[in-house]
Amino acid sequence: MRKKSAVLLVCLLGVVLSITLLSSSSIAKEKKVFFLTLADLTGPAAGLSTPIDCAVRDYFKSVNEGGGVDGIEIDVIGVDSRYDTARAVSAYKRYRKRPKLLLTMSSSSGMGDAIQPMIERDKSMFLAPGSGERQGHLRRGFCFYGPYQDTFGAAVDWLMEDWKTKGKSGKPVLGYIAFDNAWGHEVMRGGKEYVESKGIKLLPPELFTPGTLKFDVYLTRLAKGGADYIYVEVCDPTPTYITRDAHALGLTKKIQMIHGPWGATKLGIESHPEALEGTVVVSWVLRGPEAEEHPLLRDLAIKHRGSLDYVTTGYTVGVGIAIFFEGALRKALADVGYEKINGQAMYEAYQKITGLENGGISGPCAYGPKSRRGTDTVKFYRIKGGKAVPLSDWTKSPDTISYHKNW
Amino acid sequence: MRPSGVFDKNYGQDIAIVRTWQHWTVLIFGLILLYAFPFFGSYYLISFVNYLAISVIVALGLQIITGYCGLVSFGQSAFMAVGAYASSILTVRYGISFWVALPLSGVVAGIIGVIGGAPSLRVKGMYLALATIAIHALVIWLIMHLNITGGYKGMFPPSPELGSFAFDTDDRMYYIICTVMVVMTYFARNLVRSSVGRAFIAIRDNDLAAEVMGINLYYHKLLGFFMACFYGGIAGSLWAHLMTVINVEQFTLIHSLEYIGMLIVGGMGSVPGVFFGVIFIRTLNEVVMFTSPFLGQIFSWLGPSPSASLGLSTFGAVLILFLKFEPRGLAHRWEVFKASYRIYPFKIT
Repeated sequence: MRKKSAVLLVCLLGVVLSITLLSSSSIAKEKKVFFLTLADLTGPAAGLSTPIDCAVRDYFKSVNEGGGVDGIEIDVIGVDSRYDTARAVSAYKRYRKRPKLLLTMSSSSGMGDAIQPMIERDKSMFLAPGSGERQGHLRRGFCFYGPYQDTFGAAVDWLMEDWKTKGKSGKPVLGYIAFDNAWGHEVMRGGKEYVESKGIKLLPPELFTPGTLKFDVYLTRLAKGGADYIYVEVCDPTPTYITRDAHALGLTKKIQMIHGPWGATKLGIESHPEALEGTVVVSWVLRGPEAEEHPLLRDLAIKHRGSLDYVTTGYTVGVGIAIFFEGALRKALADVGYEKINGQAMYEAYQKITGLENGGISGPCAYGPKSRRGTDTVKFYRIKGGKAVPLSDWTKSPDTISYHKNW
Repeated sequence: MRPSGVFDKNYGQDIAIVRTWQHWTVLIFGLILLYAFPFFGSYYLISFVNYLAISVIVALGLQIITGYCGLVSFGQSAFMAVGAYASSILTVRYGISFWVALPLSGVVAGIIGVIGGAPSLRVKGMYLALATIAIHALVIWLIMHLNITGGYKGMFPPSPELGSFAFDTDDRMYYIICTVMVVMTYFARNLVRSSVGRAFIAIRDNDLAAEVMGINLYYHKLLGFFMACFYGGIAGSLWAHLMTVINVEQFTLIHSLEYIGMLIVGGMGSVPGVFFGVIFIRTLNEVVMFTSPFLGQIFSWLGPSPSASLGLSTFGAVLILFLKFEPRGLAHRWEVFKASYRIYPFKIT
């Protein structure tokens, strides 16, 4: 019995010692800065957040392997927020006092709103997806890329051109379908006013509960309303399901489906190629074969994930975000040096990287003193033969935020 | 918890919550420790205790309706949302003080709970559970679509103030939250030994027999819902003014499931069980959340997902293990421990 207890004790001590050594060895590495991600890895937005998180890690790993940024390593602290605000807040409180925590990345705008008061108090900064709120109130929150309403505005500009190209007279009728949540409503703040300013008839938005699987009723209503175009502002697989139902109802022959930046992913296109044929996607970043052929994305995915299959929209978005962070870090280091670098320095640096290129993964950086937009350009793709084929070059998005007066 | 040889000599002693001088000592020492905690606890730990205390209040409400009255409710987080929004509306739109809005938000949630609990008069078990899920969906939908609630944008309630002193940090809010938790715990403990509490237990054990005994089922079931939702509403108000930003994403069905999970782990029909369940589940959550990055570092070739999925899988595994090996929860272990202490130096066979 005593022998058994002694063996158990030795094993326990061994485990404790190895954990201590492992953690101390990682702490012992000097000159690090921290990037906190509150990604939803097991919740409803996991399909989007996980590849973004993977991409950020892969890119920083490559940077660190190459000697870091001016010899400084970027350490990603990843917390699975499960799309739960309380967990995100708890995680932020846990890490907020960590020295050299430069930035917090939230996977939802709601989480960003919840941590914003603390971020303001801590004089730090955060990144969140695409709520126009960031641009409407210039504070310490920055969009990943363009605000959702600007992206929607770009789609409106495109469809007007398309309408003319098709030689049709009058103005087209536009339908809008999205989640009945903050995101779905957000697009209309500025987006609605922009459409009205163009004289286009916007049908009453069709909003549905996240998790809905059949969309016949909403689509039929839009079709009866005379929609010529339907803009789908949700994240895949839902846009694919919506377009699948539109195809089954025979609506895609008459109505042009347009997906927002999180629509028609590789998986969606592969699962319903016929239904998605002809669908237009407004994208912040490269997609399809263009993304797969991009040398950096290709190298990162193969090196760290072992397959090109990982080059998804989320992954591409993540690499772009990481490159902008690296650029801002260089700027902050040049301005204040490693000893003084903190969230405030990073916040100031982000406003000075206007025009920074990320190798063509997206348009040039648009962050600035008066801009919380990561980029102000989009690219259009059309699904053809099961692939996202480029339809345009990088195109400037309109400033729809300025159309909404009640921020 | 009484040592061997200490007996109750009258009815007053039998029903007393605090019975012996040892109880008083532990209680007073515990309260001193609780209120002194911000002086030595880190900011993070203070925030965590705030979160625990709010969860205890919500789970106490659920314990009243589910653990004592036997009516399953999956709508507790919706009633928390009602309290949070009621408090925010009262303070933001009508300029009412937090100190008035706090009890009012409980009352508003209680009234909505009585309306929501009406199906319990006709259905029970699985059907009632489904009805409460529907109520959850309805409440969230209404919050999303009413102008007064700020719709999808949510609301930004202010921090409570007392004169010129603002409770605008976690360590300041700690005193309000912990005081409310202590009061609500005392109230819950007191309730279950009253005639109302005994009526709840009778309804839970056999509602037909309870009715035959003269217990008014309608009244007591609705009272149970009122109390459960009152607790939820109070917790929601505290949550809103602690976070200073609320939106519907903070009150999902998953949160309601977590509270049910806390009761399963802690033990149904026990006030201490609520504390055990809340502390266990919340601490487990935190441990998993903060070991995930570490595991991700060690097993980086697995990517972030395996370590992250620990969160959900451990919660599920813990529930399964408890249902299989300790269906009466940690409260039962506590009872066994108390019993063994009571008959010490003899052993329970």
